[in-house]
Amino acid sequence: MLHDDTISESQEDQDFYLEHDQFVIDKQRPVPRAHLSRRATVALWALRVFVVAVSAMVIYTFVTQIAH
Amino acid sequence: MKPPPLEAAGAVALPRPPLTHEDAKRSHDRRRVHRARTGGRRWHLLWLLVGPGILAMLGENDGPSMISYATTGATYGLGFFLPFIVLTFAMAVVCQEMSMRVGAVTHRGYGQLVLQRFGATWGWFAAGDLLFTNLVTLIAEFVAIRVGMAYFHLGAPLAAALGVVLVIFTLSGGRYWRWERIVLGMAVFNGLFIPAAILAKPHWGAVGHAFATFSPFPSGGFNTLLLLVASTIGATVTPWMIFFQQGASADKGMTPRDVRLGRVDTAVGGVLAAVFGCAALIAGAALAGHGGASIQGLAGAGFPAALRAVSGPAVGTIFALALIEAGAVAILTISASTGYAAGECIGVAHSFNNSPRRATLFYGANVGVALIAAAVILIPGAPLLSIALNANVLATVLLPVTLVFMIMLANDRHLMGDWVNRPAVNRIAVAIVGFISICGAAYGIDSFLQSTHVF
Repeated sequence: MLHDDTISESQEDQDFYLEHDQFVIDKQRPVPRAHLSRRATVALWALRVFVVAVSAMVIYTFVTQIAH
Repeated sequence: MKPPPLEAAGAVALPRPPLTHEDAKRSHDRRRVHRARTGGRRWHLLWLLVGPGILAMLGENDGPSMISYATTGATYGLGFFLPFIVLTFAMAVVCQEMSMRVGAVTHRGYGQLVLQRFGATWGWFAAGDLLFTNLVTLIAEFVAIRVGMAYFHLGAPLAAALGVVLVIFTLSGGRYWRWERIVLGMAVFNGLFIPAAILAKPHWGAVGHAFATFSPFPSGGFNTLLLLVASTIGATVTPWMIFFQQGASADKGMTPRDVRLGRVDTAVGGVLAAVFGCAALIAGAALAGHGGASIQGLAGAGFPAALRAVSGPAVGTIFALALIEAGAVAILTISASTGYAAGECIGVAHSFNNSPRRATLFYGANVGVALIAAAVILIPGAPLLSIALNANVLATVLLPVTLVFMIMLANDRHLMGDWVNRPAVNRIAVAIVGFISICGAAYGIDSFLQSTHVF
Protein backbone atom coordinates (compact mmCIF):
# COMPACT_ATOMS: atom_id res chain seq x y z
CA MET A 1 0.00 0.00 0.00
CA LEU A 2 2.75 2.41 0.93
CA HIS A 3 4.64 1.84 -2.32
CA ASP A 4 1.63 3.01 -4.36
CA ASP A 5 1.85 6.27 -2.47
CA THR A 6 5.50 7.09 -2.90
CA ILE A 7 6.43 10.30 -4.66
CA SER A 8 8.59 10.76 -7.73
CA GLU A 9 12.36 11.18 -7.58
CA SER A 10 12.14 14.83 -8.65
CA GLN A 11 9.88 15.57 -5.71
CA GLU A 12 12.20 13.62 -3.47
CA ASP A 13 14.97 16.04 -4.27
CA GLN A 14 13.06 18.84 -2.55
CA ASP A 15 13.94 19.86 0.98
CA PHE A 16 11.77 18.16 3.53
CA TYR A 17 10.81 19.97 6.69
CA LEU A 18 9.87 16.94 8.76
CA GLU A 19 11.55 15.51 11.83
CA HIS A 20 13.30 12.18 11.59
CA ASP A 21 10.41 10.28 13.20
CA GLN A 22 7.67 12.25 11.45
CA PHE A 23 7.68 10.50 8.09
CA VAL A 24 4.80 8.13 7.36
CA ILE A 25 7.02 5.07 7.32
CA ASP A 26 8.54 6.05 10.68
CA LYS A 27 5.14 6.51 12.23
CA GLN A 28 4.17 3.04 11.07
CA ARG A 29 6.92 1.43 13.12
CA PRO A 30 5.24 0.12 16.27
CA VAL A 31 6.40 1.46 19.60
CA PRO A 32 7.48 -1.22 22.05
CA ARG A 33 4.96 -2.64 24.45
CA ALA A 34 4.98 -1.12 27.94
CA HIS A 35 5.26 -3.35 30.96
CA LEU A 36 2.28 -2.89 33.26
CA SER A 37 2.65 -4.02 36.85
CA ARG A 38 0.10 -6.46 38.25
CA ARG A 39 -1.37 -3.71 40.42
CA ALA A 40 -1.74 -1.38 37.45
CA THR A 41 -3.40 -4.09 35.39
CA VAL A 42 -5.85 -4.92 38.18
CA ALA A 43 -6.61 -1.21 38.67
CA LEU A 44 -7.25 -0.72 34.95
CA TRP A 45 -9.58 -3.73 34.81
CA ALA A 46 -11.41 -2.50 37.90
CA LEU A 47 -11.90 0.90 36.25
CA ARG A 48 -13.04 -0.76 33.06
CA VAL A 49 -15.63 -2.91 34.89
CA PHE A 50 -16.76 0.16 36.82
CA VAL A 51 -17.41 2.30 33.75
CA VAL A 52 -19.13 -0.54 31.89
CA ALA A 53 -21.42 -1.14 34.89
CA VAL A 54 -22.30 2.57 35.21
CA SER A 55 -22.78 2.84 31.43
CA ALA A 56 -25.21 -0.09 31.56
CA MET A 57 -27.15 1.72 34.31
CA VAL A 58 -27.31 4.93 32.27
CA ILE A 59 -28.46 3.05 29.17
CA TYR A 60 -31.04 1.09 31.18
CA THR A 61 -32.41 4.31 32.64
CA PHE A 62 -32.52 5.92 29.20
CA VAL A 63 -34.41 2.96 27.71
CA THR A 64 -36.80 2.91 30.68
CA GLN A 65 -37.51 6.62 30.23
CA ILE A 66 -38.28 6.08 26.56
CA ALA A 67 -40.57 3.14 27.35
CA HIS A 68 -42.57 5.38 29.70
CA MET B 1 14.25 18.71 25.23
CA LYS B 2 13.44 16.42 22.33
CA PRO B 3 12.65 12.88 23.51
CA PRO B 4 15.01 10.08 22.61
CA PRO B 5 14.33 8.51 19.22
CA LEU B 6 12.09 5.49 19.26
CA GLU B 7 15.13 3.28 18.70
CA ALA B 8 16.06 4.08 22.28
CA ALA B 9 12.79 2.50 23.40
CA GLY B 10 13.58 -0.72 21.53
CA ALA B 11 12.20 -0.05 18.05
CA VAL B 12 14.31 -1.23 15.11
CA ALA B 13 16.05 1.39 12.96
CA LEU B 14 15.30 1.16 9.24
CA PRO B 15 17.04 2.75 6.26
CA ARG B 16 15.66 6.09 4.96
CA PRO B 17 12.18 5.23 3.70
CA PRO B 18 10.42 6.04 0.47
CA LEU B 19 8.60 9.37 0.78
CA THR B 20 4.86 9.58 0.37
CA HIS B 21 2.44 12.22 -0.85
CA GLU B 22 1.32 12.59 2.76
CA ASP B 23 4.91 13.40 3.74
CA ALA B 24 5.17 15.94 0.92
CA LYS B 25 1.98 17.77 1.90
CA ARG B 26 2.88 17.83 5.57
CA SER B 27 6.36 19.02 4.71
CA HIS B 28 4.84 21.86 2.68
CA ASP B 29 2.91 23.03 5.75
CA ARG B 30 5.96 22.62 7.97
CA ARG B 31 8.06 24.72 5.58
CA ARG B 32 5.71 27.67 6.19
CA VAL B 33 6.02 27.14 9.95
CA HIS B 34 9.81 26.98 9.62
CA ARG B 35 9.94 30.21 7.60
CA ALA B 36 7.63 32.06 10.00
CA ARG B 37 9.74 30.93 12.95
CA THR B 38 13.09 31.76 11.42
CA GLY B 39 11.72 35.06 10.08
CA GLY B 40 10.56 36.10 13.54
CA ARG B 41 6.95 36.52 12.39
CA ARG B 42 5.35 35.49 15.67
CA TRP B 43 1.73 36.28 14.85
CA HIS B 44 1.98 34.47 11.53
CA LEU B 45 3.51 31.51 13.34
CA LEU B 46 0.62 31.50 15.80
CA TRP B 47 -1.85 31.68 12.91
CA LEU B 48 -0.20 28.68 11.27
CA LEU B 49 -0.16 26.60 14.44
CA VAL B 50 -3.60 27.29 15.90
CA GLY B 51 -6.30 24.82 14.99
CA PRO B 52 -6.51 21.52 16.85
CA GLY B 53 -7.03 23.13 20.26
CA ILE B 54 -9.65 25.65 19.18
CA LEU B 55 -11.45 23.05 17.09
CA ALA B 56 -11.50 20.51 19.94
CA MET B 57 -12.91 23.09 22.35
CA LEU B 58 -15.40 24.75 20.02
CA GLY B 59 -16.28 21.37 18.54
CA GLU B 60 -17.25 20.34 22.05
CA ASN B 61 -19.43 23.45 22.33
CA ASP B 62 -21.71 21.30 20.23
CA GLY B 63 -25.43 20.91 19.82
CA PRO B 64 -26.12 18.72 22.87
CA SER B 65 -23.77 20.83 24.98
CA MET B 66 -25.50 24.06 24.10
CA ILE B 67 -28.92 22.44 24.57
CA SER B 68 -27.65 21.14 27.92
CA TYR B 69 -26.43 24.62 28.97
CA ALA B 70 -29.68 26.23 27.84
CA THR B 71 -31.67 23.54 29.67
CA THR B 72 -29.67 24.26 32.80
CA GLY B 73 -30.33 27.97 32.47
CA ALA B 74 -34.02 27.40 31.76
CA THR B 75 -34.32 25.04 34.74
CA TYR B 76 -32.26 26.83 37.38
CA GLY B 77 -31.69 30.35 36.05
CA LEU B 78 -28.43 32.19 36.65
CA GLY B 79 -26.38 30.69 39.46
CA PHE B 80 -24.04 27.81 40.27
CA PHE B 81 -23.77 26.43 36.74
CA LEU B 82 -22.28 29.59 35.22
CA PRO B 83 -18.94 29.36 37.07
CA PHE B 84 -19.23 25.56 36.93
CA ILE B 85 -19.00 25.76 33.12
CA VAL B 86 -15.79 27.78 33.44
CA LEU B 87 -14.44 25.21 35.90
CA THR B 88 -15.17 22.32 33.55
CA PHE B 89 -13.43 24.08 30.68
CA ALA B 90 -10.41 24.62 32.90
CA MET B 91 -10.43 20.84 33.38
CA ALA B 92 -10.73 20.40 29.62
CA VAL B 93 -7.69 22.60 29.00
CA VAL B 94 -5.57 20.40 31.31
CA CYS B 95 -6.70 17.23 29.53
CA GLN B 96 -6.41 18.63 26.02
CA GLU B 97 -2.96 20.09 26.64
CA MET B 98 -1.77 16.58 27.41
CA SER B 99 -3.23 15.18 24.21
CA MET B 100 -1.72 18.00 22.13
CA ARG B 101 1.69 17.50 23.75
CA VAL B 102 1.67 13.71 23.26
CA GLY B 103 0.62 14.16 19.62
CA ALA B 104 3.30 16.78 18.94
CA VAL B 105 6.09 14.78 20.60
CA THR B 106 5.26 11.28 19.33
CA HIS B 107 3.61 12.28 16.00
CA ARG B 108 1.10 9.52 16.66
CA GLY B 109 -2.57 9.39 17.56
CA TYR B 110 -4.07 8.31 20.88
CA GLY B 111 -5.60 5.06 19.58
CA GLN B 112 -2.37 4.00 17.93
CA LEU B 113 -0.31 4.61 21.06
CA VAL B 114 -2.73 2.89 23.45
CA LEU B 115 -2.98 -0.11 21.15
CA GLN B 116 0.77 -0.46 20.64
CA ARG B 117 1.94 0.51 24.10
CA PHE B 118 -0.67 -1.26 26.25
CA GLY B 119 -1.92 -4.01 23.94
CA ALA B 120 -4.78 -4.72 21.59
CA THR B 121 -7.34 -5.29 24.35
CA TRP B 122 -7.01 -1.77 25.76
CA GLY B 123 -6.65 -0.25 22.32
CA TRP B 124 -9.87 -1.78 21.08
CA PHE B 125 -11.70 -0.94 24.29
CA ALA B 126 -10.69 2.69 23.75
CA ALA B 127 -11.79 2.58 20.12
CA GLY B 128 -15.05 0.86 21.09
CA ASP B 129 -15.83 3.51 23.72
CA LEU B 130 -15.11 6.19 21.18
CA LEU B 131 -17.20 4.67 18.42
CA PHE B 132 -20.15 4.17 20.77
CA THR B 133 -20.08 7.66 22.29
CA ASN B 134 -19.35 9.24 18.91
CA LEU B 135 -22.38 7.59 17.33
CA VAL B 136 -24.67 8.72 20.13
CA THR B 137 -23.15 12.21 20.15
CA LEU B 138 -23.39 12.53 16.37
CA ILE B 139 -27.07 11.67 16.56
CA ALA B 140 -27.39 14.48 19.09
CA GLU B 141 -25.57 16.85 16.71
CA PHE B 142 -28.08 16.13 13.98
CA VAL B 143 -30.79 16.67 16.61
CA ALA B 144 -29.38 20.14 17.28
CA ILE B 145 -29.36 20.99 13.57
CA ARG B 146 -32.89 19.68 13.29
CA VAL B 147 -34.04 21.78 16.26
CA GLY B 148 -32.40 24.85 14.75
CA MET B 149 -33.79 24.28 11.27
CA ALA B 150 -37.26 23.48 12.60
CA TYR B 151 -37.36 27.09 13.77
CA PHE B 152 -37.18 28.11 10.10
CA HIS B 153 -39.80 25.50 9.21
CA LEU B 154 -37.22 23.25 7.55
CA GLY B 155 -37.65 19.53 8.03
CA ALA B 156 -35.51 16.69 9.33
CA PRO B 157 -34.46 15.39 5.87
CA LEU B 158 -32.86 18.74 5.09
CA ALA B 159 -31.07 18.75 8.46
CA ALA B 160 -29.74 15.25 7.81
CA ALA B 161 -28.66 16.16 4.29
CA LEU B 162 -26.92 19.35 5.42
CA GLY B 163 -24.77 17.49 7.93
CA VAL B 164 -23.73 14.75 5.52
CA VAL B 165 -23.03 17.19 2.66
CA LEU B 166 -20.83 19.28 4.96
CA VAL B 167 -18.78 16.23 5.92
CA ILE B 168 -18.28 15.27 2.27
CA PHE B 169 -17.50 18.86 1.22
CA THR B 170 -14.84 19.42 3.89
CA LEU B 171 -13.23 16.07 3.15
CA SER B 172 -12.69 16.91 -0.50
CA GLY B 173 -9.28 18.33 -1.22
CA GLY B 174 -6.92 15.85 0.41
CA ARG B 175 -5.27 18.44 2.66
CA TYR B 176 -5.29 18.69 6.43
CA TRP B 177 -4.72 22.45 6.21
CA ARG B 178 -7.79 23.00 4.00
CA TRP B 179 -10.03 20.90 6.23
CA GLU B 180 -8.82 22.68 9.38
CA ARG B 181 -9.28 26.19 7.99
CA ILE B 182 -12.79 25.49 6.67
CA VAL B 183 -13.91 24.09 10.02
CA LEU B 184 -12.20 26.94 11.91
CA GLY B 185 -14.06 29.43 9.73
CA MET B 186 -17.34 27.75 10.58
CA ALA B 187 -16.48 27.52 14.28
CA VAL B 188 -16.23 31.32 14.52
CA PHE B 189 -20.03 31.40 14.38
CA ASN B 190 -20.17 29.60 17.74
CA GLY B 191 -19.92 33.20 18.97
CA LEU B 192 -23.54 33.74 17.90
CA PHE B 193 -24.53 32.65 21.38
CA ILE B 194 -23.11 35.95 22.69
CA PRO B 195 -25.57 38.25 20.89
CA ALA B 196 -28.34 35.79 21.80
CA ALA B 197 -27.39 36.19 25.48
CA ILE B 198 -27.10 39.99 25.27
CA LEU B 199 -30.39 40.42 23.44
CA ALA B 200 -32.11 38.20 26.02
CA LYS B 201 -31.48 41.10 28.45
CA PRO B 202 -30.17 39.14 31.42
CA HIS B 203 -29.77 40.65 34.86
CA TRP B 204 -26.03 41.36 34.70
CA GLY B 205 -25.84 41.80 38.44
CA ALA B 206 -27.09 38.24 38.86
CA VAL B 207 -24.49 37.06 36.34
CA GLY B 208 -21.71 38.73 38.31
CA HIS B 209 -23.06 37.38 41.60
CA ALA B 210 -23.15 33.85 40.19
CA PHE B 211 -19.52 34.02 39.08
CA ALA B 212 -18.40 35.53 42.36
CA THR B 213 -20.21 33.15 44.69
CA PHE B 214 -21.14 29.96 42.77
CA SER B 215 -24.69 30.66 43.91
CA PRO B 216 -27.59 30.40 44.12
CA PHE B 217 -27.08 26.67 44.32
CA PRO B 218 -29.80 24.86 42.35
CA SER B 219 -32.73 23.48 44.23
CA GLY B 220 -35.15 20.81 43.07
CA GLY B 221 -34.82 17.11 42.25
CA PHE B 222 -31.49 15.54 43.17
CA ASN B 223 -31.50 13.28 40.10
CA THR B 224 -32.17 16.18 37.73
CA LEU B 225 -29.33 18.09 39.34
CA LEU B 226 -26.99 15.10 38.94
CA LEU B 227 -28.06 14.74 35.31
CA LEU B 228 -27.21 18.36 34.60
CA VAL B 229 -23.90 18.20 36.48
CA ALA B 230 -22.90 15.05 34.59
CA SER B 231 -24.08 16.40 31.26
CA THR B 232 -22.29 19.71 31.86
CA ILE B 233 -19.05 17.81 32.47
CA GLY B 234 -19.79 15.69 29.40
CA ALA B 235 -20.32 18.93 27.51
CA THR B 236 -16.73 20.00 28.09
CA VAL B 237 -14.47 16.96 28.35
CA THR B 238 -15.12 13.90 26.20
CA PRO B 239 -13.27 10.91 24.72
CA TRP B 240 -13.54 12.21 21.15
CA MET B 241 -11.70 15.41 22.07
CA ILE B 242 -8.70 13.39 23.26
CA PHE B 243 -8.63 11.29 20.09
CA PHE B 244 -9.22 14.33 17.91
CA GLN B 245 -6.66 16.76 19.29
CA GLN B 246 -3.87 14.21 19.50
CA GLY B 247 -4.63 12.87 16.02
CA ALA B 248 -4.99 16.35 14.55
CA SER B 249 -1.78 17.59 16.20
CA ALA B 250 0.10 14.67 14.64
CA ASP B 251 -1.66 15.12 11.30
CA LYS B 252 -0.87 18.83 11.28
CA GLY B 253 2.78 17.93 11.76
CA MET B 254 3.30 19.62 15.12
CA THR B 255 6.63 19.02 16.83
CA PRO B 256 7.96 19.62 20.35
CA ARG B 257 9.03 23.13 19.24
CA ASP B 258 5.34 23.91 18.67
CA VAL B 259 4.14 22.82 22.10
CA ARG B 260 4.23 26.32 23.59
CA LEU B 261 1.94 27.72 20.89
CA GLY B 262 -0.09 24.52 21.02
CA ARG B 263 -0.80 25.42 24.63
CA VAL B 264 -1.88 28.89 23.54
CA ASP B 265 -4.17 27.30 20.94
CA THR B 266 -5.71 25.03 23.58
CA ALA B 267 -6.12 27.81 26.15
CA VAL B 268 -7.68 30.22 23.63
CA GLY B 269 -10.08 27.47 22.59
CA GLY B 270 -10.97 26.84 26.23
CA VAL B 271 -11.63 30.51 26.95
CA LEU B 272 -13.75 30.99 23.82
CA ALA B 273 -15.73 27.82 24.50
CA ALA B 274 -16.35 28.81 28.12
CA VAL B 275 -17.56 32.28 27.12
CA PHE B 276 -19.85 30.93 24.41
CA GLY B 277 -21.14 28.15 26.70
CA CYS B 278 -21.96 30.66 29.44
CA ALA B 279 -23.74 32.77 26.82
CA ALA B 280 -25.95 29.80 25.88
CA LEU B 281 -26.84 29.32 29.55
CA ILE B 282 -27.58 33.02 30.01
CA ALA B 283 -29.82 33.00 26.93
CA GLY B 284 -31.61 29.89 28.21
CA ALA B 285 -32.04 31.50 31.63
CA ALA B 286 -34.45 33.98 30.07
CA LEU B 287 -36.92 31.08 30.09
CA ALA B 288 -36.44 30.27 33.78
CA GLY B 289 -39.52 32.16 34.89
CA HIS B 290 -41.58 31.08 31.92
CA GLY B 291 -41.86 27.30 32.31
CA GLY B 292 -38.41 26.75 30.82
CA ALA B 293 -37.85 23.56 32.79
CA SER B 294 -40.64 21.85 30.88
CA ILE B 295 -39.27 22.47 27.39
CA GLN B 296 -38.84 19.16 25.59
CA GLY B 297 -37.11 20.00 22.34
CA LEU B 298 -39.22 19.33 19.30
CA ALA B 299 -41.93 17.71 21.40
CA GLY B 300 -42.63 21.08 22.99
CA ALA B 301 -41.97 24.55 21.68
CA GLY B 302 -38.20 24.00 21.42
CA PHE B 303 -35.64 26.46 22.73
CA PRO B 304 -35.45 28.85 19.75
CA ALA B 305 -39.23 29.17 19.54
CA ALA B 306 -39.55 29.57 23.31
CA LEU B 307 -36.86 32.26 23.28
CA ARG B 308 -38.65 34.07 20.48
CA ALA B 309 -41.83 34.10 22.56
CA VAL B 310 -40.07 35.38 25.69
CA SER B 311 -37.18 37.54 24.42
CA GLY B 312 -38.17 38.46 20.89
CA PRO B 313 -37.69 37.10 17.36
CA ALA B 314 -34.05 38.19 17.09
CA VAL B 315 -33.01 36.02 20.05
CA GLY B 316 -34.93 33.02 18.73
CA THR B 317 -33.43 33.38 15.26
CA ILE B 318 -29.85 33.84 16.48
CA PHE B 319 -30.15 30.94 18.90
CA ALA B 320 -31.51 28.71 16.12
CA LEU B 321 -28.64 29.67 13.79
CA ALA B 322 -26.12 29.11 16.57
CA LEU B 323 -27.53 25.64 17.27
CA ILE B 324 -27.19 24.75 13.58
CA GLU B 325 -23.57 25.95 13.62
CA ALA B 326 -22.79 24.10 16.85
CA GLY B 327 -24.15 20.84 15.49
CA ALA B 328 -22.46 21.26 12.10
CA VAL B 329 -18.96 21.95 13.43
CA ALA B 330 -19.21 19.08 15.90
CA ILE B 331 -20.32 16.68 13.16
CA LEU B 332 -17.10 17.50 11.31
CA THR B 333 -14.75 17.17 14.29
CA ILE B 334 -16.41 14.08 15.77
CA SER B 335 -16.46 12.36 12.37
CA ALA B 336 -12.77 13.21 12.06
CA SER B 337 -12.00 11.68 15.46
CA THR B 338 -13.80 8.51 14.35
CA GLY B 339 -11.71 8.40 11.19
CA TYR B 340 -8.48 8.90 13.13
CA ALA B 341 -9.40 6.17 15.63
CA ALA B 342 -10.39 3.68 12.91
CA GLY B 343 -7.19 4.24 10.93
CA GLU B 344 -4.93 4.23 13.99
CA CYS B 345 -6.34 1.03 15.49
CA ILE B 346 -6.49 -0.92 12.22
CA GLY B 347 -3.10 0.42 11.21
CA VAL B 348 -3.91 1.98 7.85
CA ALA B 349 -3.52 5.50 6.47
CA HIS B 350 -5.37 8.06 8.60
CA SER B 351 -4.60 11.56 7.45
CA PHE B 352 -6.44 14.39 5.72
CA ASN B 353 -3.22 14.75 3.74
CA ASN B 354 -4.11 11.57 1.89
CA SER B 355 -6.61 11.26 -0.90
CA PRO B 356 -9.73 9.12 -0.32
CA ARG B 357 -8.21 6.49 -2.60
CA ARG B 358 -5.14 6.18 -0.37
CA ALA B 359 -7.02 6.38 2.95
CA THR B 360 -10.29 4.67 2.17
CA LEU B 361 -11.03 3.56 5.72
CA PHE B 362 -10.28 6.99 7.19
CA TYR B 363 -12.61 8.76 4.79
CA GLY B 364 -15.16 5.93 4.92
CA ALA B 365 -15.37 6.12 8.72
CA ASN B 366 -15.73 9.91 8.53
CA VAL B 367 -18.71 9.71 6.20
CA GLY B 368 -20.11 6.40 7.51
CA VAL B 369 -20.77 7.53 11.11
CA ALA B 370 -22.32 10.75 9.85
CA LEU B 371 -24.65 8.78 7.56
CA ILE B 372 -25.75 6.45 10.37
CA ALA B 373 -26.42 9.33 12.75
CA ALA B 374 -28.30 11.24 10.05
CA ALA B 375 -30.54 8.23 9.46
CA VAL B 376 -31.53 8.06 13.16
CA ILE B 377 -32.99 11.57 13.30
CA LEU B 378 -35.30 10.67 10.46
CA ILE B 379 -37.03 8.10 12.70
CA PRO B 380 -40.43 9.56 13.63
CA GLY B 381 -41.00 10.11 17.36
CA ALA B 382 -37.37 9.59 18.41
CA PRO B 383 -36.77 11.10 21.91
CA LEU B 384 -34.42 13.76 20.64
CA LEU B 385 -33.79 15.96 23.71
CA SER B 386 -33.33 12.88 25.88
CA ILE B 387 -30.75 11.55 23.40
CA ALA B 388 -28.94 14.89 23.45
CA LEU B 389 -28.67 15.01 27.25
CA ASN B 390 -27.82 11.32 27.67
CA ALA B 391 -25.11 11.55 25.00
CA ASN B 392 -23.20 13.91 27.27
CA VAL B 393 -23.78 11.72 30.32
CA LEU B 394 -22.51 8.62 28.51
CA ALA B 395 -19.41 10.53 27.45
CA THR B 396 -18.85 11.52 31.09
CA VAL B 397 -19.24 7.95 32.32
CA LEU B 398 -16.80 6.48 29.79
CA LEU B 399 -14.29 9.31 30.06
CA PRO B 400 -12.24 8.14 33.11
CA VAL B 401 -10.68 5.20 31.23
CA THR B 402 -9.71 7.44 28.33
CA LEU B 403 -8.18 9.99 30.69
CA VAL B 404 -6.25 7.40 32.69
CA PHE B 405 -4.52 6.17 29.53
CA MET B 406 -3.94 9.77 28.48
CA ILE B 407 -2.17 10.44 31.79
CA MET B 408 -0.15 7.23 31.41
CA LEU B 409 0.96 8.22 27.91
CA ALA B 410 1.83 11.75 29.03
CA ASN B 411 4.01 10.25 31.78
CA ASP B 412 5.68 7.66 29.55
CA ARG B 413 9.32 8.71 29.46
CA HIS B 414 10.11 6.26 26.64
CA LEU B 415 7.69 8.13 24.40
CA MET B 416 7.85 11.63 25.80
CA GLY B 417 11.42 12.08 27.02
CA ASP B 418 11.62 15.38 28.90
CA TRP B 419 8.11 16.27 27.83
CA VAL B 420 6.44 14.09 30.47
CA ASN B 421 3.87 15.63 32.81
CA ARG B 422 5.09 17.78 35.65
CA PRO B 423 3.99 16.57 39.11
CA ALA B 424 1.52 19.43 39.49
CA VAL B 425 -0.18 18.51 36.21
CA ASN B 426 -0.44 14.90 37.37
CA ARG B 427 -2.06 15.91 40.63
CA ILE B 428 -4.63 18.05 38.82
CA ALA B 429 -5.26 15.36 36.19
CA VAL B 430 -5.82 12.65 38.80
CA ALA B 431 -8.21 14.95 40.70
CA ILE B 432 -10.12 15.54 37.45
CA VAL B 433 -10.44 11.80 36.82
CA GLY B 434 -11.71 11.27 40.38
CA PHE B 435 -14.20 14.12 40.15
CA ILE B 436 -15.57 12.99 36.79
CA SER B 437 -15.81 9.36 37.95
CA ILE B 438 -17.79 10.35 41.04
CA CYS B 439 -20.17 12.62 39.13
CA GLY B 440 -20.83 10.06 36.40
CA ALA B 441 -21.30 7.22 38.88
CA ALA B 442 -23.58 9.29 41.13
CA TYR B 443 -25.97 10.02 38.28
CA GLY B 444 -25.78 6.47 36.85
CA ILE B 445 -26.45 4.76 40.17
CA ASP B 446 -29.09 7.20 41.40
CA SER B 447 -31.07 7.17 38.17
CA PHE B 448 -30.79 3.38 37.95
CA LEU B 449 -32.15 2.96 41.48
CA GLN B 450 -34.99 5.35 40.70
CA SER B 451 -35.90 3.60 37.47
CA THR B 452 -35.94 0.21 39.24
CA HIS B 453 -38.09 1.81 41.99
CA VAL B 454 -35.67 0.91 44.76
CA PHE B 455 -36.04 4.53 45.95
